[in-house]
Amino acid sequence: MKPNQSPPLMSEDLKDKGISRRSFLKATAAAGAAVSLGTGVVPQMKALAAASGPTGAEPGQWLPATCQGCTSWCSKQVYVVDGRAVKIRGNPHSKVNLGTGCVRSHMALQQVYDPDRIKTPMKRTNPDKGRDQDPQFVPISWDEALDTIADKIMALRENNETHKYMLMRGRYSYMRDVLYDRMTKIIGSPNNISHSSICAEAEKFGPYYTEGYWGYRQYDVLKAHYILLWGADPLAANRQVSYYTKVWGDVVSRATVAIVEPRLSASAGKADEWLPIKPGQDAALALAIAHILLSRELWYKPFVGDFFDGRNRFVPGRTVDEALFEEIYTHGVVKWWNLALKDKTAEWAAPITGLTVDQIRRVAEGYGNAAPHAISWVGGGPVMQVRGAYASMACHALNGLVGAVDNVGGTLASNKEYTGSFPSPADFLDDIAQKGIKHEKIDQRGRLHLPALNSGKSGGGVITNNAADGMLDEDPYEIKVAIGYINNFAFSCPQPERWERALAKIPFLAHITTNASEFSWFADILLPDTHHMFEKWGYVKSIGNGYRHVTLMQPIVKNIGEYKIDETEIPWLIAEKLANRGFDNLLRHFQTYLDPETGKAPANEKEFALYSLKLVTQNLWDPAHYKGGDKFSGWEEFLKIGVWNSDPYPFRDRWGKMKTKTGMFEFYSETLKEALESHAARHNTSVDHVMEATNYLARGETAFVPHYEEPFVLGDEKEYPFIHVDHKSRLNREGRSANSSWYFDFKDLDPGENIWDDVAKINPKDAGRLGIQDGDAIRITSPSGSLVCHAKLWEGTRPGTVAKCYGQGHWAYGRLAAKVFGKEARGGNNNDIIPAQYEALSGSSAFYGVTRVKIEKA
Amino acid sequence: MPRYAMVIDRQRCVGCGACSIACRNENNVTEGVYWSHKITETSGVFPNVRFHYIPTLCNHCTHAPCVMGCPTRAMYKIDNGITMHDPKKCIGCRYCMINCPYGVIYFNWKDSHPFWKDRQELLPGGTLSPAEEVRAVNGRGTPYYNPQANSTTPDIRPRGVVEKCTFCEHRVRAGSLPYCVEACPADARIFGDLNDPESVVNQLLGKYKPYRLKEALGTDPAVFYIRDFTAANYPKTKGAV
Repeated sequence: MKPNQSPPLMSEDLKDKGISRRSFLKATAAAGAAVSLGTGVVPQMKALAAASGPTGAEPGQWLPATCQGCTSWCSKQVYVVDGRAVKIRGNPHSKVNLGTGCVRSHMALQQVYDPDRIKTPMKRTNPDKGRDQDPQFVPISWDEALDTIADKIMALRENNETHKYMLMRGRYSYMRDVLYDRMTKIIGSPNNISHSSICAEAEKFGPYYTEGYWGYRQYDVLKAHYILLWGADPLAANRQVSYYTKVWGDVVSRATVAIVEPRLSASAGKADEWLPIKPGQDAALALAIAHILLSRELWYKPFVGDFFDGRNRFVPGRTVDEALFEEIYTHGVVKWWNLALKDKTAEWAAPITGLTVDQIRRVAEGYGNAAPHAISWVGGGPVMQVRGAYASMACHALNGLVGAVDNVGGTLASNKEYTGSFPSPADFLDDIAQKGIKHEKIDQRGRLHLPALNSGKSGGGVITNNAADGMLDEDPYEIKVAIGYINNFAFSCPQPERWERALAKIPFLAHITTNASEFSWFADILLPDTHHMFEKWGYVKSIGNGYRHVTLMQPIVKNIGEYKIDETEIPWLIAEKLANRGFDNLLRHFQTYLDPETGKAPANEKEFALYSLKLVTQNLWDPAHYKGGDKFSGWEEFLKIGVWNSDPYPFRDRWGKMKTKTGMFEFYSETLKEALESHAARHNTSVDHVMEATNYLARGETAFVPHYEEPFVLGDEKEYPFIHVDHKSRLNREGRSANSSWYFDFKDLDPGENIWDDVAKINPKDAGRLGIQDGDAIRITSPSGSLVCHAKLWEGTRPGTVAKCYGQGHWAYGRLAAKVFGKEARGGNNNDIIPAQYEALSGSSAFYGVTRVKIEKA
Repeated sequence: MPRYAMVIDRQRCVGCGACSIACRNENNVTEGVYWSHKITETSGVFPNVRFHYIPTLCNHCTHAPCVMGCPTRAMYKIDNGITMHDPKKCIGCRYCMINCPYGVIYFNWKDSHPFWKDRQELLPGGTLSPAEEVRAVNGRGTPYYNPQANSTTPDIRPRGVVEKCTFCEHRVRAGSLPYCVEACPADARIFGDLNDPESVVNQLLGKYKPYRLKEALGTDPAVFYIRDFTAANYPKTKGAV
């Protein structure tokens, strides 16, 4: 709390704010009418105004939409004039983003009207595949494209090798299961491979194994008194950037904001405390904070409980008798102290983290004094690391100590929503399919060294980046036919050169995409996809501000290409072609997606896209199926508003009934213990062996509590003196905005960056030692590869590290994204220096603190 | 008669630049020209470092040096205080740019939107050239051309003249807020009438100590700033000898 600051000026009730703003607009309108053209000294202006008709005439209308420029998934409105998108703003009906649109939402205009979007299906005419092989794409008809794909799938079915079919998913809507799940299964393959583990699965690991919640959290920031962020950059990167941007000016009046991150992020620029930690040492800081919270008696007793006699026995260095402590809504706090905390003092953590004892104490005490309105906000940085799973637990566990979990001013899970699922495919799986789906998946999930314990299940999660190795090694088998959609693994996965080789090896690859990307370069067929925001039927759900919204995607502009919707129209069209060839199971399955209003079965791809969306959202818009949240009179009204909002968040509902093994918030994770033991049992071995196989150092009981692990960083310090710090741009639309001129013209909106350039930010002291000056061309090399970019000398970079933003370095994708399309990259792709390493317990690719690098003049 | 002014609350501002991209969008501003812009600075030495951001735009000065120095009266004031520019009268002498102490006036060395004039296709037969894309969607200058910008000043400015922020005069006269104000996701821009003692602008100017850029020059800017970009607290100290 900041006692000396004046309270924020504006009304804090955001609903009221909407009203007051409207009345302000009205007042301005009246004033405007009075002054317009009233001067007499500006004849020129009068003439112009007369020529263009009355001012204020609205040539277009605002139509509802959804933005997937990042995974905030805000509800939007698009200003459409004669079928043409002109402007973008937040949808005022959303309680999650409150009518707000962040900077990158506007850039969707340069995506939908990117001249380099493929407008028609194309096929490769150069049979040789490789980065140095121009595919020589030529336009073809949809018919030819679909016939080719259907023939390839039928060949697999005829040879009883349907498991050699693979579907790769990138950015999706919740219509995904049509293409990703149902079609893959009915064809007969286990290989639906999502992008999830190159996103942030390790970020969900901590919350799941402490509070039984596998998902991203929302934060009650307006009621918080302390906000401690770990590698999260809510004002720039992810998630709910629009919402947090809207309220942050008020948040900083009330809460102390502390940011743990090796480089000065956009959010750190406005924070009270910047803790520029050594990469990979976040767990050390989290444990030191936990140590202080317990030894200084700052834990929140109504949540955690207390010693029976009220006397604090958490004395540094001393073991505590478990029988003396009575826990209320938590499990294992004393065990955690004894196993992993008792020696973890600020003095211990200071040299490890590179922070001062003073700052560690100040932050820990400030955080503890703010309990229970004290958020510990875990981002991707500290956890998408080789040994990041326990950092994820350690950072998140602080919320448990201060009672911020599920609490006012704390960290919240998802509100209930009521969308349904698509019809079951079970009746449409024939013998070939039944056998096909039983094969091991190509990403090798669930093997001893790759547990991917999504929601407690061995092999429950995807290991996206490892699929490349599965394909290259033909282990468990080769992939013969593959389809990818809105993914670009040959750019977005660490060590993408493996993907180039893996994709070149697939005999037949089709890519559903907007742009001819690096992934497309290896494809045999390109299918022109719709843009999610303007041209697609679909929906996504998202949380923020204590609400969940379900926001619709709708076709609202005129298509100038032969675009088809990735998740619905294209699978339908493939199903038709398969039916023509005697295999009609998929089409018959899709014909069970009846229009809930008329009971009619879809007769074509367009009806299918619409009916399937109406079907799964019926509980939201059909008054007869109403279950909660916003209520609509029917489908038409839902379409017009474009977003459904949940009921408000039920604070503290989950206290004592969390979906953990004990129902409590687990500091000693019985849930993780069970998951690890079942994974070990599946491989007839011990948990210690699992720890060893997954590159963790913990043995025994320590594996079940948040604990410190020395970071695993590739590269010898002498040869590679710097640690690479990857971060995201506030202008990144998931790595898809690099063909937009606004991206380059405004790149300096990222602190430390330059316009029309791709820079590595180096501390001036380090640069001085290397003889590198601002603007020098440099080569950054890691044990797995290298990239070339320019040097930026910047005090916001921790000495000993080099910070570089992800997003540039495309060698395909478009005329701006690449310096020479297909030949030469513009800037450097961070993934070229990030080795393919994994946080194996969650299956995540490690992006942060995973490699050392050297810097040389290029 | 109103005297329009803008208050920029730097504490609410997060430095995202949505104002600047929204402005490009609303006013069909070409690449490299920033009607809405910023001054940024990284201050301090590691680890005591912060990033600072000041949004900038035309200050619509009462004593506007750009207007006073314009030989053809192409740059002129209208009675609500907005500084306007008429490209038809502009001879491209750029005196206004030299006279403006804020560097917010731009000269069009080239035809606007050069990117969209390119006639080259990336993948012949499968993609369109930028020029074809504009034509195919029935745009003008760009595919996402905004026709509303056309009501008071030419929607797209020609080569050889200057251009700058108009406070979205075309919107204000129609009773809408300037687009940067409407689009600001942080509600950091507050627009209103200085002559109305009850306006929100005046409420804020009374509540906080406002400051303007280069006030000592006597230009009397209509863009005011309140509060700080970094509202950071620090432990109490008296320092040391």
